[in-house]
Amino acid sequence: MKARLLVVAVLAAMLAVAATTASGGTSKAQAGKIVVWLQNDAQNGWPEAVALASRTFKAQHPDVDVDVQYQSWGTHLQKFDAGLVGGDAPDVIELGNTEMTKYMAAGAFKSLTQSAFPNNKTWLQGLKGSCQYNGKLYGVPYYAGARAVIYRKDQYKAAGIKSTPKSFAQFLADGKKLMKKYGKKDGGYSAIYFPGKYWYFAMSVVYDYGGKIAVRSGGKWKGTLNSPQALQALNQVKTMFKSLTRASKTTDEANPQQALVFAKGKVGSFVGNGWEWPYALDEKLGDPSLAPVVGAYPMPSHTAGKFMPTFLGGSDLAVPVTTKNQSLAVDWIKAFTSTAAESEIAKAGNIANTTKLLAFNASNPKLAPFARAAKYSWFVPTSPNWANVENANVLQDMLVKIATGRASVKAAANSASSQITRILNTGA
Amino acid sequence: MASVAESEFPLASRRRRRFTRQTVGRALAPYALLAPAATAIGVILGYPLYLLVKMSFEKYGLFELIRHKGRWVGTANYASILHDGQFWHVLLRTILFTVVNVTLTMVLGTAIALLLLQVSRWLRIAITTGLVLVWSMPVIVAVDIWRWMVDYEFGVANWTLTKLHIVNFIRHDWFANPWTGFAVITALIVWGAIPFITITVYAALAQVPQELLEAAAIDGAKPWAVFREVTLPLLMPIFVILTSLSIIWDFQVFQQIWVMLDFRPTSDYYTMAIYAFHQSFQISEYGLGASIAVVMVLFMFLATLVYLRQMLRTGEVR
Repeated sequence: MKARLLVVAVLAAMLAVAATTASGGTSKAQAGKIVVWLQNDAQNGWPEAVALASRTFKAQHPDVDVDVQYQSWGTHLQKFDAGLVGGDAPDVIELGNTEMTKYMAAGAFKSLTQSAFPNNKTWLQGLKGSCQYNGKLYGVPYYAGARAVIYRKDQYKAAGIKSTPKSFAQFLADGKKLMKKYGKKDGGYSAIYFPGKYWYFAMSVVYDYGGKIAVRSGGKWKGTLNSPQALQALNQVKTMFKSLTRASKTTDEANPQQALVFAKGKVGSFVGNGWEWPYALDEKLGDPSLAPVVGAYPMPSHTAGKFMPTFLGGSDLAVPVTTKNQSLAVDWIKAFTSTAAESEIAKAGNIANTTKLLAFNASNPKLAPFARAAKYSWFVPTSPNWANVENANVLQDMLVKIATGRASVKAAANSASSQITRILNTGA
Repeated sequence: MASVAESEFPLASRRRRRFTRQTVGRALAPYALLAPAATAIGVILGYPLYLLVKMSFEKYGLFELIRHKGRWVGTANYASILHDGQFWHVLLRTILFTVVNVTLTMVLGTAIALLLLQVSRWLRIAITTGLVLVWSMPVIVAVDIWRWMVDYEFGVANWTLTKLHIVNFIRHDWFANPWTGFAVITALIVWGAIPFITITVYAALAQVPQELLEAAAIDGAKPWAVFREVTLPLLMPIFVILTSLSIIWDFQVFQQIWVMLDFRPTSDYYTMAIYAFHQSFQISEYGLGASIAVVMVLFMFLATLVYLRQMLRTGEVR
């Protein structure tokens, strides 16, 4: 009996200790910590910028911890939705510029004062537009990216390609030369690494031929991937899938990371962002010995003298409406978008959020091709429902059907267009 | 004792006696004992179920999510999904998928259980250990390993099949064709489901009286006839329960398909659970997702109701 009482007493004491420390822990955490959600691109590409921002923030607020949690593009919105309801949404979140409109329209972010942020008078116009809704500012431009062709100079030379292609037709012909030289011996070689779900590049071809994902007329959206120009472009994409690449037809450019596949040596070129060039040369994951033979050029258009429009991707930073640390969150964003941090981000191969640093890119041979490629760009339909089209994998679905031959180009495009029309017009 | 005392009294007092504190207490005791468990189940399962049904009658998008309040739209969500062609495709695909998986699981599970009866003790221990190890592996870990095995570039499945000169599967994409993709997923799910079925059926087989089996064998019955006429009827209650459970589990399969396809399955791979998740979390239409979930629950309830009613009504299962 005494032993039993002793056990009960010990258990009760343990519970009491646990309870007090637990409650003590949470009350301390609320005031003393901010949670930041960034995408894993930052973790792979510019960790120094993140560290710099956190150091600056810590100097300002010594008793506040910064918990940077890295997310992946495929799941971060679902986690954010769950966080908004469950009360554990972050204090700062990075959202892609294509995803901002949906969340701004739903009232997910706190409105911000533009003048509080560094370089706000010289923000990139395109990025700034993605942060504004109904005349208010709900986000801070973070960085932009343009894609260009990153290629193996030695393989091009060995295959007899004297200079980088000046037209899309020339690019395709060069691809055939590469496949002839390397693809016959090695069944895994790709002249261009083009996985089936890589819609950013596939849509660039569509926009180059004059097609569009959707157009808005009379207040309603209409999917137009089945227009004659878009179909012509998609047929070119199908040709590339069939004859120029041995990449998987059911994966995308991030799983596996295309820069790392390129680093393995069986790829002649790939269409990537500026930060993917140094990433391919990463000491641990890539191949640093390739440094002297890697170059980049903007993808040429099928009309001579122009470049193929590149997707003007980018990210913004926002403060969710559920946060209890708004001023701390704003301070962290100020630290992360300061000129010093943005210079680090630009050095990693991106386009900084301010025109002041554009010259930085133009003078650097590793960054200049991407800055030039940004001259011609395209963007997704600016509808609050666009994020739903992305989440519904409509474009990836269509491309996989085309790549695997399970549907004709026309049938796949028709199906995708009707889905896009339906999703963009929900709630209209 | 109480009944003897009661019968000595006239009718009126006997009626009053029926509601003494003792008899009432005794009658209520089972309910009182059940109350804590029922309350727990009610709160943990009942409340979310009530919220789910309520949400299925509301428009609940991202706007409503942030404000924690939906907008009543009656049966508009149900009308929307029942008119959606994709819903019927997904339902058909899920039914076919469930039938194949449940059949394979039950047949293979029972076969292995029967095998366990015949083999030596050490082999039995070895097989049971293997089954328990499979059963105890967390689902996500198992899916990741299978994903590596059927990987496009480096998978061991492709390498083995090519080395054995069965087919040239170098850089064969198992998920390019939904049929082969679902074959991989079915193999994974059946592999994970067999241990539970086998161990349960093995335990049930141990209850079959040896004399009946020996008598049937002496009468000249072949092993298959013995199984069909003697073992199967005795095991029927267990089979009904296991089949119902398997139907419910396989109808709701989500994790294996979701993780196998890198969290972004194309529409060819949608089963009901993935479709409901997609509607809810990917396009933020929680009302639609809830209505699909309610349809799923009703469907599974109906599927198992048939068997359960039989079992309760006749007292023995046919």
